[in-house]
Amino acid sequence: MLKIENLHASVDGKKILKGINLTVKPGEVHAIMGPNGSGKSTLSNVIAGRDGYEVTAGSVSFHDQDLLAMAPEERAWAGVFLAFQYPVEIPGVNNVYLLKAGLNARRQHQGLPELDAMEFMQLVREKAKLVELDQGFLSRGVNEGFSGGEKKRNEIFQMAVLEPSLAILDETDSGLDIDALRIVAGGVNMLRSPERSIVMVTHYQRLLDYIEPDVVHVLVDGRVLKSGDRKLALELEKRGYDWVREEAHA
Amino acid sequence: MPDIAAFREKAWQAFEQAGLPSTRQEEWKYTSLARLGSTLGETWWTPAGATQLGEADMASIAIPGLDAWRVVFADGRLVDSASSLPAGVSLAPLSELLASNGEQAAAALQWQTDAPLYNGAVAANSALAQDGICLSLADGIKLDRPIYMLHVNSNPGAAHLRHALILGRESSAHVIEHYAGVNEAPGLTHAVTLVRLAEAAELAHDRLQDESLKQFHLGRLDVTQERNSRFTSHAIALGASLCRLDVAVDLAGPGASCRLNGLYMPTGRQHSDQHTQIDHHAAHCTSRELYRGVLDGRAHGVFNGKVVVHSGASGTDSAQSNANLLLSDKAEIDAKPELVIHHDDVKAAHGCTVGQLDDKQLFYLKSRGMSDEQARQMLTFAFADAVLTSISQPALRRFIEKAAFSKLPLDMDAEALIG
Repeated sequence: MLKIENLHASVDGKKILKGINLTVKPGEVHAIMGPNGSGKSTLSNVIAGRDGYEVTAGSVSFHDQDLLAMAPEERAWAGVFLAFQYPVEIPGVNNVYLLKAGLNARRQHQGLPELDAMEFMQLVREKAKLVELDQGFLSRGVNEGFSGGEKKRNEIFQMAVLEPSLAILDETDSGLDIDALRIVAGGVNMLRSPERSIVMVTHYQRLLDYIEPDVVHVLVDGRVLKSGDRKLALELEKRGYDWVREEAHA
Repeated sequence: MPDIAAFREKAWQAFEQAGLPSTRQEEWKYTSLARLGSTLGETWWTPAGATQLGEADMASIAIPGLDAWRVVFADGRLVDSASSLPAGVSLAPLSELLASNGEQAAAALQWQTDAPLYNGAVAANSALAQDGICLSLADGIKLDRPIYMLHVNSNPGAAHLRHALILGRESSAHVIEHYAGVNEAPGLTHAVTLVRLAEAAELAHDRLQDESLKQFHLGRLDVTQERNSRFTSHAIALGASLCRLDVAVDLAGPGASCRLNGLYMPTGRQHSDQHTQIDHHAAHCTSRELYRGVLDGRAHGVFNGKVVVHSGASGTDSAQSNANLLLSDKAEIDAKPELVIHHDDVKAAHGCTVGQLDDKQLFYLKSRGMSDEQARQMLTFAFADAVLTSISQPALRRFIEKAAFSKLPLDMDAEALIG
């Protein structure tokens, strides 16, 4: 599904990603862990197509398409979804309107008929329950006046409505208290399916207590230095990241 | 009874003395009226001829679905047959007062050379105004429907209008002024509205200027507020080749509050100038101002928002915000917030921004499947709509939204966007 090969990327001329290799198969959940500044968010943003990131080498293919050649909206239509670390507030753009336009744009590109207003509202109500999002939030501006936790829940709610085939969760756990984390993780778990892959970028092991990954990668200084299973995350929690670096340089 | 002819003559002299404002004056630095004379001729003030528009034409220009009393002026003159005036309320056309009640006419036509944002054109309006409405609400009277004034131009020449809205104690009204035009030859609309709010009176005032792109538009809203009165304004400037609107509010009585909202959207080669001045004379008054501009093409916009806190105005609470969105690198805005404070113990804030759409917001929308174009349109809509959300009449808000967004290079369904 997602294949990243030898990916190098810079921001403002500074090399951040220095040769990432990563393959995610359908239905798999991967966790990418690493210390601050290791390139985790850069990787998420490059996959989603944000401006300001220069890919200097390597490739990213998604369903055998060259993802890097696609505009952000084309990636969304193809089924890529980024849950933002810091979801931006957009007063005046209605949450539900945005989702309806987004979903129908994607359906159009899939050759599916657009959902009518009734079908759509039914879908929205059903998905809002997944993350215990109050109906009142739906008619507000995108993230307008939402608390940190509400913003994160809204991201997962959007993911539930848009049903991507690849979801990247960029530090979705940061800033969440334990109850919010449980709700968000519950939503993500319900969205796990054999056709959907999930890449979770996180600083802490804590999230993995709730969403169990198939593979854990350690990203340090722009490279994946080690991959393993769930146990690797627990070891990182206990020992920190330095030993991975030392082991790699040994 | 004062001699109205002599009064008008005096006004004309006052105009001749001051002349039209020139760009040498600070308040007119960015807006030149030289084109008024060069386009309309030396006697640019010559009134337009009688309208040929029929009632059906006027009805087709009017805002649909608006539950309101309707007063129609075509080429500067009241069209009785197209108007429905509320009964039991003192509302008289200026043209009638000019013929029958010189005292009331002169009161409506007053000019004060020391008024804020005064210029010679105001006196010219006092001398020349042909029509308008003089609404005089007795104490405690609350109008249950808005008064909708439609001004249509069809002929070349000038329409001089003067409205006076005099509200007694604890009375309330909602007045909508709509300026539209189908004229293909250039003309001038010059409209001055006086607002006088007695203690605890309340006026909602919405002003939509969406005239022909050939038109020159000069407007003035002159507001005096007594104790605990409330004034809310929406000033929307979309049309005309050159538009200048002055809004001057005098918070004269303690506890009075005003809320000024404005949206200007010049495109092409339009010039749109919005000047506001709020004078905090009395203590414990509140003023709020939200003005936004969306500029495209080679348009030139001007915003000047002056707030003066006079000595003795304890407990003043004032906040002003002006933001401008430039959709084209050829568009230009001269924006200036001005805060003049002569008293301690006041709360006053202002902010002014000029910019483009926010990259983070654009990326967010695109990552949810909006095309670049669609994302830009949604954000532009949202930016402008922030001024319109506080319009109380849904039919009016919808009409303005459609008129505003028809000016933008929108290829998406405006109907769907408005939602």
